[in-house]
Amino acid sequence: MDLVTMNILDSTLVSICREMGITLMKTSYSTIFNEGLDFTCAIADTNGDMISVAEYCPAQIGGMPLLIKTCSQEIPLDTLSEGDVIIHNDPYRGGLHVPEHTLFMPFFHEGEPLGYLVAIGHVAEVGGMVPGGFAGEATEIFHEGFRVPPVKIRKKGKDVPEVWKLLLANVRTPRYNYGDLMAMIGALEVGSRRLTEVVKKYGKQEFQKTNADLAIYSEKRMRAEIEAFPDGHYSFEDEIENDGNSNKPFFIRVDVYVQGDEVIADFSRSDPQAKGPINATLGVTWSATYNAMFHLTDPSIPKNSGCFKPIRVLAAPGTVTNVNYPAPEVAGNTETHPRLAALVVGALATGVPHRSFAAESGTAVNFVFGGHHPDYDEYFACYDLMSGGWGGREGFDGNDCVICMNGNCRFNPTEVFETRFPWIVEDFAMTPDSGGAGEFRGGLGFQRILRATRTDITASQCTDRHRVRTWGLLGGKEGGNGATLIQLDGKSDWQPVTEVFGKVSSSKYSNITIRPGDRVKLVVPGGGGYGKPSDREKERIEEDIREGFITEKAASLDYGL
Amino acid sequence: MRHLVGIDVGGTFTDFVAFDPQTQKLDVWKTLSTPKDPIEGILSGLENYDANAIEAVDHLRLGTTIATNAILERKGSVVAYVTTRGFRDVPFIQRGKRKSHYDLTWIKSKPLAKRRYCFEIGGRITARGEEYEPLDENEIKTLARTIANDPNIKAIAVCLLFSYVNPIHERRVADIFSNECPDKPVSISYSVLPKWKEYERASTTIADAYIRPLVSHHIGRVEEQFTKKGIGKRVAVIKSNGGEMSLDAAKNAPIQMTLSGPTGGVVGAKHISSLVGVEHLVTLDMGGTSTDVSTVVSGRESFTTSFEIEFGVPIQIPMIDIRTMGAGGGSLAWIDKGGMLRVGPQSAGAQPGPACYDQGGNEATVTDANVVLGRISPSNFLGGSMQLNQEVANQAIGKIAESINKNIDQTALAIVQIANNNMIGALRSVLTERGLDPRDFTLLGFGGAGPVHVSDLMYHSGIPSGIIPNHPGQFSAFGFTMTDARIDLERTTQMTSKAFNRDHANKVIKELSQEAVESLNLQGHKGEINLYRSLEMRYFGQNHELEVPISFDEFNDITILSGWEQFHQAHRDRFNFDIPGEIIELISVKLTAVAVTERPDLPTITKGHDKPEPVGSRLVTFDEGKLETRIYQRDQLKMGHSLEGPVVIEEPASVTVVRPEQKVLVDEYGHLLLGKIASTNR
Repeated sequence: MDLVTMNILDSTLVSICREMGITLMKTSYSTIFNEGLDFTCAIADTNGDMISVAEYCPAQIGGMPLLIKTCSQEIPLDTLSEGDVIIHNDPYRGGLHVPEHTLFMPFFHEGEPLGYLVAIGHVAEVGGMVPGGFAGEATEIFHEGFRVPPVKIRKKGKDVPEVWKLLLANVRTPRYNYGDLMAMIGALEVGSRRLTEVVKKYGKQEFQKTNADLAIYSEKRMRAEIEAFPDGHYSFEDEIENDGNSNKPFFIRVDVYVQGDEVIADFSRSDPQAKGPINATLGVTWSATYNAMFHLTDPSIPKNSGCFKPIRVLAAPGTVTNVNYPAPEVAGNTETHPRLAALVVGALATGVPHRSFAAESGTAVNFVFGGHHPDYDEYFACYDLMSGGWGGREGFDGNDCVICMNGNCRFNPTEVFETRFPWIVEDFAMTPDSGGAGEFRGGLGFQRILRATRTDITASQCTDRHRVRTWGLLGGKEGGNGATLIQLDGKSDWQPVTEVFGKVSSSKYSNITIRPGDRVKLVVPGGGGYGKPSDREKERIEEDIREGFITEKAASLDYGL
Repeated sequence: MRHLVGIDVGGTFTDFVAFDPQTQKLDVWKTLSTPKDPIEGILSGLENYDANAIEAVDHLRLGTTIATNAILERKGSVVAYVTTRGFRDVPFIQRGKRKSHYDLTWIKSKPLAKRRYCFEIGGRITARGEEYEPLDENEIKTLARTIANDPNIKAIAVCLLFSYVNPIHERRVADIFSNECPDKPVSISYSVLPKWKEYERASTTIADAYIRPLVSHHIGRVEEQFTKKGIGKRVAVIKSNGGEMSLDAAKNAPIQMTLSGPTGGVVGAKHISSLVGVEHLVTLDMGGTSTDVSTVVSGRESFTTSFEIEFGVPIQIPMIDIRTMGAGGGSLAWIDKGGMLRVGPQSAGAQPGPACYDQGGNEATVTDANVVLGRISPSNFLGGSMQLNQEVANQAIGKIAESINKNIDQTALAIVQIANNNMIGALRSVLTERGLDPRDFTLLGFGGAGPVHVSDLMYHSGIPSGIIPNHPGQFSAFGFTMTDARIDLERTTQMTSKAFNRDHANKVIKELSQEAVESLNLQGHKGEINLYRSLEMRYFGQNHELEVPISFDEFNDITILSGWEQFHQAHRDRFNFDIPGEIIELISVKLTAVAVTERPDLPTITKGHDKPEPVGSRLVTFDEGKLETRIYQRDQLKMGHSLEGPVVIEEPASVTVVRPEQKVLVDEYGHLLLGKIASTNR
């Protein structure tokens, strides 16, 4: 094993993935893509195992193991030619959810395919029953958008017009979708050129051998980290408040077994799958578990297939953690993923409390909307996200208003948002006291108030924690809830979505119409606290009061100050 | 008669480069910096200059890290932040992103203003520049008085939504504050950065206010001391765009000094690019703890407007795009938990420094590896003024060697290879990641450690040519003597090719030109001013712009079309595809105004008719193995001398290491040309 060559090849490959990501970011159209950075670029070997990945969206990184392997069963590598590009988004073929489009192409050395370049990205508009892809009341996968099984969108470098036509005819914003897909193809081509040079420099044998060594290296480091966890059986349970179709909660449960240098996460005691879109595919549950384990271990371990090896995931088919066709599952990837990841962290908190953290907001709020823009005279659709509080952790308060574990997204600046979409943002403010009290308090969430201005806007949402709170750890208290409230034009009171529009849930709903003058208030939850509030240093409490992060009332109630 | 002095105030040393135009003599020296009061170090350094010449010093240019350090060390003033109702938390909420994946120990950056001093006022401008809600003047006056009466608050930052479209509210607010609290400086976002994205603009405006009292004080001291000593009719500071500005201008726009010092190397590189006739340069400024890389493309510096001084603290004024990475001579070699050898970003710093400094450090650094390999001679470090301890270097590298089961030479070579690879990553980030082909570039290596690595880096990153300038250790200060007075302005002017408001666009172009020219005139530049205009555009729907230079100063039927076509072409060039017929969105109009200042003609050196004589030889380890290598003294080399690697060329503040078979040619100015350029430039 040549550790020096490994180091050099590893950083070279990560740099290629990064370069692909820059092309994606700079040329894509959806704001969730170019401003939100909800994408990932990676390189996989002939088996579809991940060799290298850049530091973009964590949910997609963890989704990689199943993605290419599943697709290559339908389109084997040896049937591919140079310049072929495959597109895919089907959650029931190893995908994550319908908006997540995976484009990949083989790379060659002396005429022989040595693996794949992969670009995964969230395309904002995917057809289906609501503009923006998050139908809170969906009951079938078909409601959630246009499913794309693995098909070639390019053959030998040439567009396949039939596929493009089908794709673009089934979405509301074809100009945007075309831009996003072109960006992904552009990224693959950049990666392909660079990677071909690298493989040529090393030769097939050394390239493959070094990558195999890198996987062993990462696996070895991962095992060493897990070895340091105390052996045992750890359990945890959390509640998803509803599925948008009935007001009944769904419980997710994990049993984590640490044995030597391996971990098994078994989600089989979770509730049966929901009628609504909160279900996770097996790929999502795998991804969430990897994500949790990466958070609990040394972040510097190179991310490749070796990291995944000491981690096993079990999830019984037909549960919310391994959904059966054709149930809906769009929120599984955004909402259930962070909750499942937090579940693993919560379970292992008993074993490794110093590495764990209390519950984070666990939601990106996922407010989607669309309509006709009077200025630009075209259909617009937007996947808008917000960020909540992190949980408290040993030594530090949770960060305020930072994206939940499954993403590393930025949200839209108000000045970009209002230029693009016919809203006025009237408020953009942190929510005092929303961080759960504790020796190290939870991070704060925030709220926005949006007012429709000149046109009707159709909105939908998939979020959670309007009722169920973020949990604390080691005596820390729960954090504040999220909310979605409506103030109709001319009225002064704020009402939940359920009341105004007769929906089952205010956190998951489809197609409400916001008219000019109406306001929507979106509130993101704060994080849970860590450690007993009575152990919090007085100076920190006083500084929080001076800065308005907690109110005097809460200081007296929660901290006895 | 007029002497020109460039001064680069760094953390450890203050570098001086003085030029006497009469004798064409370039003097170069350094003194220890005095971080507590930088002017002390400057004055004592100037005393080292020829006593007769000091009177003749007419023009001083100062690069300083005072603004950078004030921000990084959080030593600025208490700022009151005033913004649109509902938006005072923008600097705290930021953009929701985290610094890195999976790292639970990360602590989100705090803004430079305390929340208790963040205030909101009514009034609203829409995205189209219309007034949606008027200002409440009484409310603002009340707030202004509150701020005036708070002794803690030293400066005020105002950033209102959509002020870049229509600044009427911001300007009115600034007027009221100036009246009500005349002794507290006001920074308004429209003046600092008239560009969209409120968090980035707010952060930049707050930073401007945050350093304003400190910078004013510092500049006041400079003025006072220089006047007292009678030095310098014209004293200027170096801006983050590599241009100079008068001291008065600096007081009014302190944020322009954020990246002052490091720009000197890029400006110097630009000069060398025209002098040597090389279109595309990539700079590598490698010092003890970090390496800066940047590019000069087609003879022009590369700019960025998305700089973050630290994660979460964007400062987005137009500045030279310099990437800094934690790899320098002092970078530590270490073994990670999986047994892999790694180098940096931790550094041994100046104290204790590399093990071979023998100042108590015992951990292996890149410099130690270079000593073990014979590339750096222990007796010729800093011109022989510092004796390095080879034995201690061997021991430090030896410890690492044991853990990875290699011999000392192999280990030292691996450390250098990994450090080089880290730097290749940085080179890639400014070249391939921006769509530039390394094969079109020449690598310019400077800083004390740069010339040691240039030859290897050329070889491994596919850059065919290299140049080592004169005085590589003081190259930034040299660059200051070459700089012009320069203003970069940018204004967000969002519109699409489908609905293009020609009159508005023309108005913006005109206003920017006027503003820049007036400002340069005010600074005493009455001569020729060159204006360069460009447009930031993208396909309507994208979120990142490409900057397209334009040669026209007014939009008309013909120029509009050429502007759009130029964008399609730029997109093809950068990303290898375009979308014909697509709507194009104009985001910003940019303008650069340059008042060309007098600059030294570099002295040439004598032509060598003989063969250069080595001063000795020693064994040096290269990738190919241990080779007997000739050693040359740089000041003995003459124009036209040519060498072939392996060779080592030593000079007081640096050493140039040349790989086997690589060619070296000395040009008329004494530059060392390496690789392809040495073969073609005969």
